[in-house]
Amino acid sequence: ASSTLNAPQAQVDSLMQEVADEAGLELNMELPQSQTATIGSASAASSEQDELSQRLAKLRSM
Amino acid sequence: VTMSNGTPSNPGTGPAEPVLSRQKQHHRKAFEYISKALKIDEEETTYQFEGTVMAQKRAFRARKEQAVDLYRKGITELEKGIAVQLKGQGEAWDRARNLQSKMLTNLVMAQDRLDVLEKALRTDDYMP
Repeated sequence: ASSTLNAPQAQVDSLMQEVADEAGLELNMELPQSQTATIGSASAASSEQDELSQRLAKLRSM
Repeated sequence: VTMSNGTPSNPGTGPAEPVLSRQKQHHRKAFEYISKALKIDEEETTYQFEGTVMAQKRAFRARKEQAVDLYRKGITELEKGIAVQLKGQGEAWDRARNLQSKMLTNLVMAQDRLDVLEKALRTDDYMP
């Protein structure tokens, strides 16, 4: 039963890639940084600020 | 910027909701203003101008001036949001402090962008 906990990272990664491929998803796609189980609006606000940061950074690099 | 209007002086036990929702409101407005500014600002490379060179130039500058105005408004809201004092303990307050630090990052970045635009408008760099 403990085998799932001990699964090597490489195997986990390759499995995730497999699932992503099947679903036609891009794994490297950026996810909102605060996906870790926070309550709706607070993490939404946080993601929105992250989005602004990314867009501002992009303009700066142009 | 008002630093301490209505902020409870008893950390941890004060009514969290009014303080946190005030922060949230400033976040919300800042997000709206800066999103709009970015949308205009990002159009730079794809915006299609029509008419004479002078007309193009005027249209281009007008867009940038509009973005400048929106960045300024967004920055004001970020400043107000950052000024909200977060002295409480617990998860909600920790999240609020996290949001505060992100707003601070964006305050610096938006200010930088605003400086670039203002300088370009001043020195007439924005000639299509």
